[in-house]
Amino acid sequence: MTERIRSLLDRTFDKEQRKFRRDVDWKPLLERFVREGVSDEARARIGLEEMLKAETPAFMDGERIAFLRTVRQIPDLHSDAEMEARRAQGVAFGEKGVVFNLTADFGPTVRDGLDARLAEISSRLEQAKAENDAEGVEFLENAALSVNAVLDLADRYRAAAEEKGLSEIAATLAHVPRRGARTLHEALQSLRILHYAMWCEGEYHCGLGRIDQYLYPYYEADVRSGRLTDETALEEIEEFFIACNRDSDLYIGVQQGDNGQSVMLGGVTRDGRPAFNELSRLCLKACGELKLVDPKINLRVDKSTPLETYELGTELTAKGLGFPQYANDDVVIPALLRWGYELEDARDYSVAACWEFLVPGCGMDINNIDAVSFVGALDAALRAVADAPVASYEDVEKAFLAEVQRRADALVAKYDRVEILPGPFVSVISAGCIGRARDICKGAKYNNFGIHGTGIAVAVDSLASVRELVFEKHLVSLPELVKILDTDFAGRPDVLAAAKAAPKMGNADQRVDEIAKRVIGFWGHAFDGKRNGRGGVFRPGTGSAMYYIWHARDVPASADGRLRGEPFSANWAPSLDVPVKGPVSVVRSFTEPDLGLVCNGGPLTIEIHDSAFAMADGVKKVAHLVKFFVERGGHQMQINTINRETLLDAQEHPERHRHLIVRVWGWSGYFIELDKPFQDQIIKRVELNVA
Amino acid sequence: MQGRVFEIREFTLQDGPGVRTTVFFKGCPLRCAWCHNPEGQSFEVETLTKANGEKTVCGQDWSAEALAAELARNADIMAQSGGGITFSGGEPLAQADFLLELIPLLKARGLHLAVETSGYAPASDYEAVVSRLDFVYQDVKHQDAEAFQRWTGGDIGVVLRNIAWLRGSGVPFTFRVPVIPGVNDSAADRAAIAAFVGDDPVEYLPCNALAGAKYPLLGRTMRCR
Repeated sequence: MTERIRSLLDRTFDKEQRKFRRDVDWKPLLERFVREGVSDEARARIGLEEMLKAETPAFMDGERIAFLRTVRQIPDLHSDAEMEARRAQGVAFGEKGVVFNLTADFGPTVRDGLDARLAEISSRLEQAKAENDAEGVEFLENAALSVNAVLDLADRYRAAAEEKGLSEIAATLAHVPRRGARTLHEALQSLRILHYAMWCEGEYHCGLGRIDQYLYPYYEADVRSGRLTDETALEEIEEFFIACNRDSDLYIGVQQGDNGQSVMLGGVTRDGRPAFNELSRLCLKACGELKLVDPKINLRVDKSTPLETYELGTELTAKGLGFPQYANDDVVIPALLRWGYELEDARDYSVAACWEFLVPGCGMDINNIDAVSFVGALDAALRAVADAPVASYEDVEKAFLAEVQRRADALVAKYDRVEILPGPFVSVISAGCIGRARDICKGAKYNNFGIHGTGIAVAVDSLASVRELVFEKHLVSLPELVKILDTDFAGRPDVLAAAKAAPKMGNADQRVDEIAKRVIGFWGHAFDGKRNGRGGVFRPGTGSAMYYIWHARDVPASADGRLRGEPFSANWAPSLDVPVKGPVSVVRSFTEPDLGLVCNGGPLTIEIHDSAFAMADGVKKVAHLVKFFVERGGHQMQINTINRETLLDAQEHPERHRHLIVRVWGWSGYFIELDKPFQDQIIKRVELNVA
Repeated sequence: MQGRVFEIREFTLQDGPGVRTTVFFKGCPLRCAWCHNPEGQSFEVETLTKANGEKTVCGQDWSAEALAAELARNADIMAQSGGGITFSGGEPLAQADFLLELIPLLKARGLHLAVETSGYAPASDYEAVVSRLDFVYQDVKHQDAEAFQRWTGGDIGVVLRNIAWLRGSGVPFTFRVPVIPGVNDSAADRAAIAAFVGDDPVEYLPCNALAGAKYPLLGRTMRCR
């Protein structure tokens, strides 16, 4: 890395960028909106305009890619009372209600410039007026104003740069984002502004998508013309990546670091050719040098991916970054086709924020709208059957699956009427919105809902334990077991020991893995034939998001020996405290079910001790493990490289571990910035890892 | 016949090429003062007691067929990565007859086989087993006969004879030298070891900081730290 990048990196880590920040009280704006009954569309546009007006051009010494957030708060556009009133009328919202978990169609606007979008808006506006399409007119007028607000700030940045003698930045901003980028540098500056503006509009979990694809033409042209070498191109990418870490503490998320700035590398092109290129390679290299949590790297692979590509990924794993997260084209693309995605779009998939598969630019999916707690479903099912005459284990499993179905159906009903609040600017940089003359909140090409399945391994292990304890060893009856769970195994250490000794997922043990196969087979079809109110389908998944902590608080002890209050494993992973033979058996167990059925996303999460990389060929061996997962039909995988002692020391002495990165549920964050329950779950996770 | 094993560990990363499973055989004729697997020393099945009183049984008997089937569970990823099985311990060669039954069963499954050995075994056992393997990690602990006796309880002649045979056997090998403070890390000791190793491949393994951790499980203490 160059001296300039090293200095930018250090100063970003030292949070120098925060000295430019100020607070703005947006309450008067909201009060005006409420008082005057301003429309949603106008609020979104005015909010963006006011936000960008309040921003002050600021530059860090030595930077060449500008734009920093200087106002801490984003305006609230709706009062709690207004939102409550809408909910009372039966409208459901995904999380905060705004556009989120989405990757815009950055490529075309980086290529064409915002002026080209303004021209499209203006001609479409003529048509809408001619057709008396009032809704279209309102959208298009607000869209044009939102673009102008962005261009206005870019121009103020340009003027400020000029004034400060930052002639290179001034020259770049004289061209982009208004016009199409001509070089990689202009493309990255333009992308930075478009992405920055989305956050200012109130969107969150804004992914960056397939940057190695849509930025490749600039890289290629620059290298061909001699404007860039691989070294200078690397420097460009590194500066852009550092920029992704400057405002991120202001982004909305459940935990610090949970900001959804995901990048997808590799895979295939829209016409099916291998897409991993020199730029993909440089992106991986940049991450390896910078060792930052953002952007979060995903890597698409398939059975033809050479081991060398996996090794480029596991080199990052060895550095403890918690990424790349791998996605398997052989499983994901067919799954998306089954859900109605067109082939070219399916080949173009990325991830929304953590791991929910999304087609950038044309997906307005709400990938994480809710979750089914499998442990909760089993608990309810056990109670329901405990008093009835139960003939066999099969009856218990049947009751459990029926309860899962009941919960799935309840979610279908719950999300019959989902509304999304408008985002005129994000609509402009998403495919098809101008043509339809509708905000993306009214729907895009894909409007599917994703439903997480949490605690699947805990539930499956519990089923195996019920079968063994109740129906095979006759250690307890079902009603007795329910009472024992209610009292947290108090006074029954024998039952607890037997529960812990029952077969567990992660050991390639057919006695339990065959249950998982049936459970996933069922869950994968739980929403067949169902449509959401926005015309999309429901996509079941194996992800947990933060629910592995939240849902675990709602249930008593479980039959696998998990005590009350202990968290579930995150995503698709062995239960905590389960002694497993090792990661190969974990991969074997967790690729036994047909994961193509549950491709909303949710990775197998494996922890590997950092000593694994002490030997030079550790990277290659871990690469083989990932390749093995992919060849066995795994859908998604992430690997954490950690050391328990280091984590414990970091809890005690956070100041000594500012750079310590961990994979949390679908993203990498700084360990010391997490809340303690999330820290503790990770420590528990690593207690039984590969030494 | 039966073999006695105290651990089967998957995805061991330091025991040879590719993705491997290492099987630890129970029982060792030596008593190295720095041994980090003390539960592998006794040939008897033992009970380990954790500080919290929790007890586990250490040592399990396997038939060659059953053990081969267990070890070959991951044959697919081993084939993919050029990996296989590593015999460790304890001293695996102390169960040479069992290994001679086990090896053909694993070879029939196409697995790469390696051993980690002190070399402390009768020449006939050493040669019979090693000549059937793909790779050997051969310990070099000390070059001084008296010190070797004092720190391991064994006769260095046995080891030197087997190493001499190994060097002419054509079986690929790497020497492994545990570097133990106060035992073999003096300048003179190191020079003697280096001279003995010569141009052959060698790995020097610094003393494991956690080496003593398992002794309390057996109600024992470590002779050297």
